[in-house]
Amino acid sequence: MAIRDLVTKFGKKSVPIQRTPGDLFGSLHQEINRVFDNFGRGFFDLSPLSTTLLEPSGTGGFSPKVDIKENDKEIEVTAELPGMDEKDVQVSLAHNELVIRGEKKTEKEEKGKEWYRMERSYGSFHRLVNLPEGVDTSKADATFKKGLLTVTVPKRANAKQNQAKKITIQRA
Amino acid sequence: MQSNQVLQETRPQAVQTHPETNGGVVYTPAVDIIETPDSYELDVYMPGISDKTAEATLENDVLTIRGQVERSPKENLRLAYQEYEVGDYRRVFTVSDGVDRERVSATVRDGVLHLVLPKSESSKAKRIVIKAA
Repeated sequence: MAIRDLVTKFGKKSVPIQRTPGDLFGSLHQEINRVFDNFGRGFFDLSPLSTTLLEPSGTGGFSPKVDIKENDKEIEVTAELPGMDEKDVQVSLAHNELVIRGEKKTEKEEKGKEWYRMERSYGSFHRLVNLPEGVDTSKADATFKKGLLTVTVPKRANAKQNQAKKITIQRA
Repeated sequence: MQSNQVLQETRPQAVQTHPETNGGVVYTPAVDIIETPDSYELDVYMPGISDKTAEATLENDVLTIRGQVERSPKENLRLAYQEYEVGDYRRVFTVSDGVDRERVSATVRDGVLHLVLPKSESSKAKRIVIKAA
């Protein structure tokens, strides 16, 4: 967090700890963390769920934060998109790959309006979430409420019994 | 920065547990602040809040913004991957005399609390009549 403490975009006051860093170094830092997170995940976690981040378009891009939860019946992906309209968000699912894309538009420049503090990022984003095998993408459901996008993908019934099968070793 | 004179942020305790939230984690939400000719406008980004769970109070000089997030009602959901944590929000500003406290208004839309703090007439420069002593 050392970089974040030193760099402030607006004003001399240091930016307090935020949930969504808006400045370049903050997001870079976040990205690095995320890369290391995923790196570690691949080795130690062996999680069937993984997210792949595509390059945000331009420097103004940002990446909404995503949480993934699951139970026996379904997988729930939530993304933080406060201040966005559902019309600005597109969700698509193909080949077990969930794509969330959209754009947070900057408020129109108006005369007499002066920014004092901008902690939120604007621009377009694109997130990819790889879903595991055994999900029924045809029954996926997406809702947008209170600035949160929730995508629910049910697991297939037969996938539930995807437990380890004992293989009998036969004497050759 | 001029805004410091009108809206001064009380040092937030950032991520912390706060007695008001039953030991839950409290986050400092991101804020956009704009000045228009007539008012100061704040956009407080608190994904997961609604008009019923957001709260803004102005007591004396202290503007306190709070947001409560409802937990998912679904059971047995375990976390598979996490970039954000669910918690309540709290951020505190100190407001100067330049704001008309009686006309402060707030709306919530898509997880964003929008506050309008109209500038007070009295904050404009006034001429003081000097009387002969």
